[in-house]
Amino acid sequence: MNGAFRICPITGLKVHAQADALIKANAVAATVSLLIGGIAAVLVLLTRWQAVHLLPAELFYRILTVHGMSMLIFFILFFEMAVLYFASAVLLGSRVAAPRLAWTAFVLMVAGAVLVEVIMWMGKADVLFTSYVPLQAHPLYYLGIIFFAVGALIVTLLFFATLVVAKREKTYQGSVPLVTFGAATAAIIAVITLAHGAAIYIPTFLWSITRADGSHLLNIDPQMYRLVWWGLGHSSQQINVAAMVSIWYLLGALTVGSVVLNEKISRGAFVLYVLFISMASAHHLLVDPGMGPGWKIWNTSYAMYLAVLASMVHGFTVPAGIEIGQRLKGYTKGLFEWLRRAPWGDPGFSALIFSIVVFGFVGGITGVTFGTEQINIIAHNTLRIPGHFHSTVVSGTALAFMGLTYYLIPLIFRKQVAFWPLARIQPYLFAIGMLIFSMAMTFAGSFGVPRRHWDITFAQAPFDVQFNPSVDLIIGVMAVGGIIAAMGGAFYIVITVWSVFFGKPLEAPAGGRA
Amino acid sequence: MAMHGVPQGITKLPPQAYDIPAESGHAEKGPSHHAPGTLVLVFVFLAAFIVYYFVNWKLLSFVWKIG
Repeated sequence: MNGAFRICPITGLKVHAQADALIKANAVAATVSLLIGGIAAVLVLLTRWQAVHLLPAELFYRILTVHGMSMLIFFILFFEMAVLYFASAVLLGSRVAAPRLAWTAFVLMVAGAVLVEVIMWMGKADVLFTSYVPLQAHPLYYLGIIFFAVGALIVTLLFFATLVVAKREKTYQGSVPLVTFGAATAAIIAVITLAHGAAIYIPTFLWSITRADGSHLLNIDPQMYRLVWWGLGHSSQQINVAAMVSIWYLLGALTVGSVVLNEKISRGAFVLYVLFISMASAHHLLVDPGMGPGWKIWNTSYAMYLAVLASMVHGFTVPAGIEIGQRLKGYTKGLFEWLRRAPWGDPGFSALIFSIVVFGFVGGITGVTFGTEQINIIAHNTLRIPGHFHSTVVSGTALAFMGLTYYLIPLIFRKQVAFWPLARIQPYLFAIGMLIFSMAMTFAGSFGVPRRHWDITFAQAPFDVQFNPSVDLIIGVMAVGGIIAAMGGAFYIVITVWSVFFGKPLEAPAGGRA
Repeated sequence: MAMHGVPQGITKLPPQAYDIPAESGHAEKGPSHHAPGTLVLVFVFLAAFIVYYFVNWKLLSFVWKIG
């Protein structure tokens, strides 16, 4: 079985049976995580919407923790593991190195995720995504994260091992494809991220164990926790960025035959991520009194801007590659015929374009602005921050993953995409909803509305806080956007689950070719 | 050929850059790097960036007055 390959009748790619199965398993785990995180998202949204204010305070913080962990860690990382197997074994036509170890890693990740979910739902870890010390969760919460991280680290190392196997067995010629190169940068950042994770979660796990006299097994400095934790917290989102950009290049080639403008520039931009993205984590600590201004300014200006430069390079080369690909097909009239005549009914293409536009215009611009030390003081801890990262991680990364899924279902699962008319509008629904949601959050935050807050009316508080009256309207708009996006997310889950488990098997289409 | 439930990139994989026929005039010198539409979009992005960045400094000046 380990040596079994099939030839994809559509692309001509040689697909290792183990790679096939591992991609499927990780994709299913990602979808389950998305479902849990999505339900939590709706509950959080209906609580932040003051007119509804659904959950009591205790449940709100619990569900917010579930939302953060399920979406930002479990959904994203399971999907990225699938991307790593696809970008190595499938694109290079290679076997997976050490498939038994790969399955062990998958089991470890699932066990870790289940453990964390159970502890969170039991109410033993109401510590939010950042779990800042001295907020304390049950030791099994930290242990679950460690299991998950170790599993992810093994998959990352197996990605590199598979590259070595492919090179040695000469399954490809010349350099690895750009998509594989991008995935390799994501994997390098993943190693950096997981190293930070180990450096902070292992001591925190020991700190969470208390002796009979109530003392901790190990003491942790909260300042040091925040510093090292963001090496995990921010870098993990940069794995997303590198993986998302790789998917942009892949979807561009698959949907319109886009051209890579310059391989060296695109690869150089990926290297910039590896070199500078970790230091950019410092922007999370811009108002932290424990860090000096020199440290903050160095890391969030020179270092961060070089990582931002990389995103701007990709943000230019990907659309330009699409434009040139379209112009080569004859769509040369005026400035935008190439865009008008693009396959907007292909969910892979519409997801790609929305991912680029919302990530760049909303997520990118707000991110760089908030990363400026002086401006950060008016944005920090307001709804502007989740407004920013919902436009990067959700509208950018998650939407790119959704677009790729519409290609993975026929190529890997060998099924037709179910509810096809719904699939064609799903990226529109999700992107428009998230755009309204993110922008409304950003506006509300500009009026000082705090993030992570259960009740912004401050009822029963000893002091009175009044926001601008327009805040009520903006929060209402945010809720409408969030509900539209949640519908888009629900459609995605229904489409993928139905396609994978009950979908019609795909016969090789006549138009396909090797 | 369109096929229900399958993205068009699979039923009809678009020509990749290395597939462009010689008569198109691009094969010998590689694909043209002419992307004027994207360049316009880049300037729209730049304008949005400048406006948002300036507005934020202005907002900061309201809460952090000097003098």
